[in-house]
Amino acid sequence: MSGVLISVVVFNIVMALVVSLVFVPVLVWMERRVAGFIQDRLGPNRCHIGGVRLGGLVQSFADMLKLVFKEDFRPGAVKEKMIFTLSPVIVFVTAYLSFMVIPFADDLRIDGKTYMMQALPIDFGLLWILAFAGLGVYGLMLGGWASNNKYSLLGGIRAAAQVISYEAVMGLSLISMLIVYGSIHLGDMVRFQGQLIWGFIPAWGIIIQPVAGILFIITAFAETNRAPFDIAEGESEIVGGFHTEYSAMRFGLFFVGEYIAMGAASALIVTLFFGGYQIPWLNTTVLKDHIEMIFIAIIIILPITSYIFARWIKKNNVWLEEGDVRNKETRWLIIGLIGINVLVVLPLVVFLLFGIGENGTNISVVLLQVMTFIIKLLMMNFFFIWVRWTLVRFRYDQLQNLAWKVLLPIAIINVFLTGIFVVVLGV
Amino acid sequence: MVDIVFIVLALFAIFGGLGMILFAQPIYCALSLIVCLVALGGIFALLSAPFLFMVQIILYAGAIITLLLFIIMFLNIKDVNLPDEPNKVTTIFVGAALLIPFNILILKAFSTLPNKPMHILGKDFGSIHSFGIELFRGWLVPFELISILLLAALVGAVVYARKGSVDG
Repeated sequence: MSGVLISVVVFNIVMALVVSLVFVPVLVWMERRVAGFIQDRLGPNRCHIGGVRLGGLVQSFADMLKLVFKEDFRPGAVKEKMIFTLSPVIVFVTAYLSFMVIPFADDLRIDGKTYMMQALPIDFGLLWILAFAGLGVYGLMLGGWASNNKYSLLGGIRAAAQVISYEAVMGLSLISMLIVYGSIHLGDMVRFQGQLIWGFIPAWGIIIQPVAGILFIITAFAETNRAPFDIAEGESEIVGGFHTEYSAMRFGLFFVGEYIAMGAASALIVTLFFGGYQIPWLNTTVLKDHIEMIFIAIIIILPITSYIFARWIKKNNVWLEEGDVRNKETRWLIIGLIGINVLVVLPLVVFLLFGIGENGTNISVVLLQVMTFIIKLLMMNFFFIWVRWTLVRFRYDQLQNLAWKVLLPIAIINVFLTGIFVVVLGV
Repeated sequence: MVDIVFIVLALFAIFGGLGMILFAQPIYCALSLIVCLVALGGIFALLSAPFLFMVQIILYAGAIITLLLFIIMFLNIKDVNLPDEPNKVTTIFVGAALLIPFNILILKAFSTLPNKPMHILGKDFGSIHSFGIELFRGWLVPFELISILLLAALVGAVVYARKGSVDG
């Protein structure tokens, strides 16, 4: 194994870790702040380390510490101890594994060799994700059953019924996408979305197949047990559902697993319908041909946006008490911003002056695409959170009616029409 | 390396199958069945058949057993409701002993098979592309017949379910 291969593999695995595990505190923070703003309050913003609050992000680390150090309590009524302990692990592991096949960037070419930018370089990524989306529900079901509690059992049964119904619709909406893309390799799908329709519209999945896109987003909400489909833990009816009897880090694993599943669903939606790592109108070839112009654009735009952002911080980030340690935060943040600017702009200037070579061009394209993917992922996660705090929860019968009487016929008709169109147009 | 993985997977499959038969509590049986099916899927992956491996996990481990577990949980069987099995171990041993001659017959049949190369086929053998080409060129009629059979089964299930609710 060459050094390049090892570093690419390590980079991909670290990326998978970052966008799944490291993003969890960020997502929890986003959830609480967005909920706060939607409900016309502020959300957590006081917790700090040496004065640095990062807009409340530090609160997530405090929450995590609390979960880790809580007493690990298991009710005496729980008889199947092994299954009780295993079920949060199942939820966590399956959610984490489904991140493994998401392409973070286009295939990287170094010295004539091509490297797939996925943590697990396989070309049947979509099937892999479907498999682990289906396995994740075992955690909820078994957790609910092993808790030996009526409410938990109800939560587990609800989770199972919901996943069975929505998996069918999810599969059918994916089939119409498979007909369009002609591949189950997620990398091929994203490459397809780098094209332009009629020369000016990006050929994103949501534009080619809006019906399938909406169906898939709805079913992804149901598969991840997010509101409005969170009847498995409907706290107004069945206490906490499947996790009623869980506490401390056992509950923490369920909690983290839920956010990783949300991240994985967002990543899949971005990959299938929103162009994945593609920057709109700038696919990989265009990026490679115009890399110097892009460097110049970054050198100009980054300092300007940083300046506006710093002004905004200075105006808004004020702690009313004089002499409080949190008043020093603004200075730290601005120093950090200037540091980031120097770290990005200086190398770019050096590259512009001395040239970057082919490998350098490829690597910088990959880095740009990774950044794009992360931004899109965060936007999709924001959408998930936005929906949770906007819509109310479905009743159980409404949920099943929606799946079987509305979504399933639409999905079947969509597959049928897509097939006819593809054959008639001969694409 | 491949041999070690195969042996581990095979052991998992065998113990999963045994657990499926031996456990008294139905939910443990279902879980053992999952272990068995996932291990079988792993063996498919070893034999360079990634499509079969994924289908095994999506359909059997993901969908069918979920339905099975759902029904078991829905019935919520208590320990007192389970049947008494006083001579379980003896019955199993006698049954296994009775099957030994049959096993010997199967082993003999294996030994008479002609010699063929027993190595794992290449990477393209079980990929989704070659599998699809084979299925829709060589086996199209059986494939469509099976789908009609499944459709008939589906209609039959709906008819039976409706009958029950109308008659009360």
